[in-house]
Amino acid sequence: MNGARMMQGRRAGAVLLVPALVLVAGVFLAPFLLLVLMSLWSQPQGSLLLDTTLTLKNYLRIFGDPFYLRGLLTTVWLSLAGTVLCLLLGVPLAWWIVRWTGRWRGFVLALVLIPLTCGALLPTLGLVNLLGPLGVVNGTLKALGLIDRGLPLLGNQAGILIGLVQAFLPLMVLPLVTTFGRMPPSCEAAAMSLGARPPQVWRHVLLPLAAPGLLAGSLLVFCACLTSFVTPQVLGQGKVATFATMAYQQASQVLDWPFASALAMVMLAILGLMGVAAWGLGWRLGAQG
Amino acid sequence: MRGRGILLGALSIATLVFLLAPIAVLVLSAFDGGKFFRFPPREVSLRWFVAAYESAEYRRSLANSGIVAALSTAASLVLGTMAAHALVRGGLRRTALVEAVLIAPLTLPLIVWAIALLQIYARLGVSGSLGGLVLAHTVVTLPLVVRIMMATLAQIDPSLELAARSLGARPLRAAARTTLPLAMPGLLSAGAFAFLASFNDVIVSTFIAGAGWNTFPVRLYSQLRGQGVDPITMAIGAVIVVAILTLVLLGEAVFKWSRKL
Repeated sequence: MNGARMMQGRRAGAVLLVPALVLVAGVFLAPFLLLVLMSLWSQPQGSLLLDTTLTLKNYLRIFGDPFYLRGLLTTVWLSLAGTVLCLLLGVPLAWWIVRWTGRWRGFVLALVLIPLTCGALLPTLGLVNLLGPLGVVNGTLKALGLIDRGLPLLGNQAGILIGLVQAFLPLMVLPLVTTFGRMPPSCEAAAMSLGARPPQVWRHVLLPLAAPGLLAGSLLVFCACLTSFVTPQVLGQGKVATFATMAYQQASQVLDWPFASALAMVMLAILGLMGVAAWGLGWRLGAQG
Repeated sequence: MRGRGILLGALSIATLVFLLAPIAVLVLSAFDGGKFFRFPPREVSLRWFVAAYESAEYRRSLANSGIVAALSTAASLVLGTMAAHALVRGGLRRTALVEAVLIAPLTLPLIVWAIALLQIYARLGVSGSLGGLVLAHTVVTLPLVVRIMMATLAQIDPSLELAARSLGARPLRAAARTTLPLAMPGLLSAGAFAFLASFNDVIVSTFIAGAGWNTFPVRLYSQLRGQGVDPITMAIGAVIVVAILTLVLLGEAVFKWSRKL
């Protein structure tokens, strides 16, 4: 092919990109920029018209009002706890899938993926019947005579935490399976042959090697927990305010859109900080290794 | 070592049971005849399946979900495949940035976007319209198609298409007769993932869907926030879950079969 035809081919190739790029840039990315502006507007009380003079009022309200501040802390706490629980359950599960399942590996991985393919709402609906006062867990415990009164598993933080872990554990397991899958069994064999005991093998060999996967999985789970709003709303039964449910309430019921925008911006800022922290940590780990 | 393996296996299987229990409970509780689910169930009946079938309201919201998912899947398949083709075959430079932009709806939080989109749609007067809903769902499903199609096209030998061209076929015809059939499994799975993502979406739709175009997840979500669980939705949920799992299994089987060809 000569130069001119190659240029022509290249231009034709670039044309194919245009519709998708315009769509994502215009419909997806541009609203994020507008959101910055909209969060600086305000909604005067008793008026439907927006006041478009720029003000930091909304942000001051989030950090000044104990209700929103508590919501912020609850959300961050639930997301951190959810991430730690996903790590505690996800690391053994991923290790088992990689080292012990053999030719069943594909099947077990498909099982892990099922909650993701069913969407956010249907498993949550099942959880309501699993955890409710007359649900499967309480019904079984009562039938066995272990408890007289149902355990409160809905409408509180425990219920939300169970829901978050159930919904987002696959996001932890998948990157870990990839990372563990790249580590040859000779890793632990070599360490053991030098006399290391299993806890030492994990601490000094396996976990450092798996750090990128652990970091990626933790970041994915944390972000998903922080922005999740179906799980806290349905399993918290409106009794636990998280950032996402407050933003939904402001946007869809109170109709204070500038304030909802500010709540969304704070959420985005937290995610951004977490992303930068994870990136920095990954970079440092990379520099050490 | 062996004892540890058994312990690890038991823990892992318990975790898997925890992951899948809500879905199993959803399906089983649809067969409970009572108005409120309780465990152990008192009567087993199919009455909620019958009620679901007879409810015009739920049929309508399911049809809405299907229409929105079908339209947005079609749009994102066309746009996403074009973009993937340009990225893999176009010989372009700086594709990493373009790819990052196209994948953005997967990496940035949808709820933040939905809050912005709600306000923009209200200003433009398109909130609650079919077009607005399809547009938003196309954006959400596009990155799935781009990713799957990039992986698919990267595995197809471009010299086949070039050979067809050198034998005199016009560009589109050459692509349609060589690359397209080979990309079929990728197109099918991209379509399936896009359809599922749209059909299951709650976040974006609850913000922008209006009374006119209520999808099933939105209907279900607003009812869950209000009166609690309507047993009819359990029956519909059970049918949807079984349909999804059957499709995934079928897709897996077709994929394996197509590899043997």
